Amino acid sequence: MSETKYLETHEWYIVDGDNVTVGISDYAQGELGDIVFVTLPEVGQEFNKGDAIVEVEATKTVAEAYAPMNCVITEVNLTLETEPELINNDPVGEGWMVKAEIKEMDDSGMSYQQYESFIS
Amino acid sequence: MSESKTTSLYDFHLSKNAKIIDFAGWSMPFSYDGTLKEHHYVRESAGYFDVSHMGRLRLNYSQIEDINYLICSDLKNLSNTKALYSIFTSEEGTAIDDVIFWKFEDDLILICNASNTSKIKTHLDIHSITYEDLTTSTDLIAVQGKNAIDIVSNIMSIPDKFSTLKEGNYVYARTGYTGEDGLEVMLDTKDTLSFISELEAKGIKPCGLGSRDTLRLEASLPLYGFELTDEISPIEAGLKWTVTNKDDYLGKNVIDQQIESKEHKHLKRFKLHAKQIARTGTICVSDGVEGIVTSGNISPILGYPIGFVLFKSNPADDLVEFDIRGNLIEGNLIYKRFLS
Repeated sequence: MSETKYLETHEWYIVDGDNVTVGISDYAQGELGDIVFVTLPEVGQEFNKGDAIVEVEATKTVAEAYAPMNCVITEVNLTLETEPELINNDPVGEGWMVKAEIKEMDDSGMSYQQYESFIS
Repeated sequence: MSESKTTSLYDFHLSKNAKIIDFAGWSMPFSYDGTLKEHHYVRESAGYFDVSHMGRLRLNYSQIEDINYLICSDLKNLSNTKALYSIFTSEEGTAIDDVIFWKFEDDLILICNASNTSKIKTHLDIHSITYEDLTTSTDLIAVQGKNAIDIVSNIMSIPDKFSTLKEGNYVYARTGYTGEDGLEVMLDTKDTLSFISELEAKGIKPCGLGSRDTLRLEASLPLYGFELTDEISPIEAGLKWTVTNKDDYLGKNVIDQQIESKEHKHLKRFKLHAKQIARTGTICVSDGVEGIVTSGNISPILGYPIGFVLFKSNPADDLVEFDIRGNLIEGNLIYKRFLS
């Protein structure tokens, strides 16, 4: 597995061979506040880089998580349907949102250090 | 741009790791432990809120006739030591602000929304009503919750509901904005920290404006700028119960006409049959009547999304279809309060 990378739109992703796992960053969950509902995509749905893949409802606002690269969804984190607070509690672990097969590799995300200076 | 104002507790909020937001030109705590947790502190036990950004004006009692002319409620005949929720109305019958009056023997304290303090002061100036602005020399702490009164009774005397009291350093009333019992306490800024440490010592937790909003919405309480604006009258906002002024007052003709004809906008409560939240600005239709959501959020206690919607006229049906980012979501109008 490669390192966790971050996007300017506050998603994280990890590339593992032909697959990518996507979620939102700790900073993003902190800004959103309590997450109460997520709308996950269907397995098999195809997304281009920058498309909205997940809708995140928080008490403060609603936000979208965007695809880091062109991909097809292979798995969604169904636990989030009953425990959306996992995104608040463990955003880069158990709060992952989708796994997808990479259609066109784009590993241009920021390292954690770069992302940290981006948000500060 | 003028710099954001802070209350005397700003450094204290930072020391509590509060998430700070700008609200009506004030840097205020949005949350400390998280909005949902703070919501439950209040519903299950007690929490305290720094609401010192709200305007506080002391008015001499001798001006009561003039003040009474500017609001839709009967402040004049309210007995002393009572608190009153009322609305400053415009000539068009719309809301200039919704406020709380604390009535005492010799003076009145007027508490207005932070976003409207300067508007209210100008309005009073125009009508030659004098006041002393206490907003920066005092703080306002709301102690709210199921157990709030029990706990606070160890610190101060407890007035009857909607009643006021002056005791020691405290000027206060048994009022609030959460749907729970509690006190709103005005005190000199130099006394606030010691008051708060007494509250904390008794297990009362700090709560931010985030939970204040989910609590007031769940308690079916309007927020100025959303359910009430300078384009919405008390009648349209479903606040006919506040219209108790028997004398002439600004906007009376329009308000009387609205009560008579029922031809006006109608604010309703709704719940959704989905998990999506219909947020402010969401368009909806019920029985061909178009509406717009004024406030919407999840109800942490009920577990589903709720809110207020303003219809152009009174819809005959209670089924509503909301357009949430292109998806049509069904909901129902609710005629009782959200929480029983």
